[in-house]
Amino acid sequence: MIDFVQNTLDGVMIGSSYALLALGFTLIFGVMRRLNLSYGPTIMIGAYLGTLLNVQLGAGAAAVAGATVVGAALAGIYVERLCFAPMAAGAGIASMVSSFAIWMQLEQAAILVLPRHTYAFLPLTTGAPLTLGPFLVRLDYAAMLVAAAALAAGVYLILYRTRLGLGLRAIVGNPVAAHLAGIDVRFSTLTAFALASAVGGVAGYLVLAVDQQVTPMFGMWATFKGLIAMMLGGLGSIPGALLGGLLLGVVEAQAQWYFGPHIRDLLTYAVLFLVLVVRPTGLMGEAPPADAAAPGRA
Amino acid sequence: MLEVASLVTAYGKIEALKGVSLSVERGGITCLLGPNGAGKTTLMMTIAGILRPRRGSIRFDGAELAGLTPAQIVARGVALVPENRLVFPQMSVRENLLAGAYQRSGASEIAADTKRLYERFPRLSERREQLAGTLSGGEQQMLAVGRALMSRPRLLLMDEPSLGLAPIVVDEIFRIIAELNADGTTVFLVEQNAHKALQVARRFYLMEQGRVTFSGTPGQLAEDEVIQRAYLGTRRAAV
Repeated sequence: MIDFVQNTLDGVMIGSSYALLALGFTLIFGVMRRLNLSYGPTIMIGAYLGTLLNVQLGAGAAAVAGATVVGAALAGIYVERLCFAPMAAGAGIASMVSSFAIWMQLEQAAILVLPRHTYAFLPLTTGAPLTLGPFLVRLDYAAMLVAAAALAAGVYLILYRTRLGLGLRAIVGNPVAAHLAGIDVRFSTLTAFALASAVGGVAGYLVLAVDQQVTPMFGMWATFKGLIAMMLGGLGSIPGALLGGLLLGVVEAQAQWYFGPHIRDLLTYAVLFLVLVVRPTGLMGEAPPADAAAPGRA
Repeated sequence: MLEVASLVTAYGKIEALKGVSLSVERGGITCLLGPNGAGKTTLMMTIAGILRPRRGSIRFDGAELAGLTPAQIVARGVALVPENRLVFPQMSVRENLLAGAYQRSGASEIAADTKRLYERFPRLSERREQLAGTLSGGEQQMLAVGRALMSRPRLLLMDEPSLGLAPIVVDEIFRIIAELNADGTTVFLVEQNAHKALQVARRFYLMEQGRVTFSGTPGQLAEDEVIQRAYLGTRRAAV
C-alpha cells in the first residue's frame, strides 16, 4: 500500500510535466485543428540552446532554463511559419507531413551543433528529498508539480481573462467568424504557437533537469509523451490535457514499479488504446464541431 | 458608399463571380436576391475579405478593400453577419459580443455599446452568461447581428439572416434591420425571402450564375417575376 501511494505521488509529479507537454500540444491543435509533430523537437532545440550556452560559456541553471524556454518558443515560431502559415485551409495533412520533415531537420541541426550523443544537463536542485511520514518527495519532482500548476493557471488566465485569449477561443470556436469579428487570426495563431512551445519548453526543462542529460532523441520523447497525454485527455481540451498528463504519469509510475520499464510502455499504450476504443475523443474531449474544416482557418 | 466593379472570385478554376458590378447607396437598404449557387455568399465573403478576388475592385468610401485582411476591413467600418450565423458556440453571449469589439479600444465605450445592445435585444440580455451554442436559431441570429454591430460598422452586410427561422422570428429580424437602418447604418442584405426583402429595400439586384442580371427599385419589376427569378433563375423560368 505504501508503495502504491508512493508511486501515485511520484506519478502525479512526473505527470504534471506530461500535462504541460499535452497542454502546449492541445493549444496548437485547438487553434489550428492540425497536429504539430515537431512540437517535441521544438522543445529539444530549446534544450540544446541551453546546453550550448552551458557547454560553451558555462551558463548556470537559470540561464539554461531561460534559454530552453525562449529557444523552444523561437523554434515554435519557425515551425509555424514553415509548416502551418503557408498551407492553405484544408491542407492539414500537408502541414502534418511537413512538420514531420522539420522534425528531422531540427534533429540534424542539433547533432551538427553538438555532435556528441549525450550531454549533461544541469540539475535544478540536488537537495535531499523531503520526508512526509513514510513517503519521500524529491525536490525536483515537487518543483515540477508547482511549476506545472502555476503555468496551467497562467495559461487559463491568458485564455479566459485577456483579449488574446478571447481571440484564440473565438478561433477555436469558428475561424471564419473570428476573421469576421476583426480578430487578426494569423497573428493570434502565431502567438499561440509561440506560447504553446514556451509551455512545452518549461516542461522539457523540468524533465531534463531530473534526467540530468539530454540527447537529440528528446524531441521524439516529448512528442510521444505529449501526444499520448493529449489523446488520453481529449484532443483540444485543456482540462483533458491536464488529466491525461497526470493519468499517464501515474500509470507509468505504477507499471514501472510493479512490472519494470519494458512492460511499463506496453501497458501505457494498452491504456491509450482502451481509452480510445471506449471514448474515441479521449476522456474529456468533445466531438469536433461540424464546421471544423471550414475555409479560412489558417 | 460601396462600389463593386467587375469582381471575379474563383474556387480553383470555377469562377463563382464572373465580373460582378453593383453599388450600395449610403443610408439605404440594398438587397441582393438570386437562386442558390448564384454567388451571393461568395460576393459577401469577398467583400468581407474572407475570399480573395481574382480581379476587379471593391471600393468603400473611395478606398480599395480588395487585398485587405478581414480584420482591416472590419476596422474600416464594414461588418458581415454571415450565413448560418456562425456564433462562437463555446463562448457566452457576453463574450461573443466582446469578440465583435475586438478591433476597438476603450473599455467604457465598449461597455456602453454592450448595454445599448442588451436594450435592443432583451433576449440576449437575459441569456448573457449562457453559452451561445445553447441559444435558439433566432437568438443566435440576433447574437450574430449584435456581434457585428459591436464593431460599429458604417456598412452592415447580412447574408440570409432569415434562413431557417420561424416566420414570426423572421418578422422580428426584419423589424430590427429596419430599425438599424433608421438609426443610420447602411445595410446590404442577401435574402432568399424576396417578398420580405422587397418590402424593406430601396434598391435591389438580382444575381444569377455569378452575374448581376437585374438592378432597379422594387417597383420596377413585378414581384412575381422577381420571386421566380430569385428562386429559380431565368433559364429555368423560361422552360
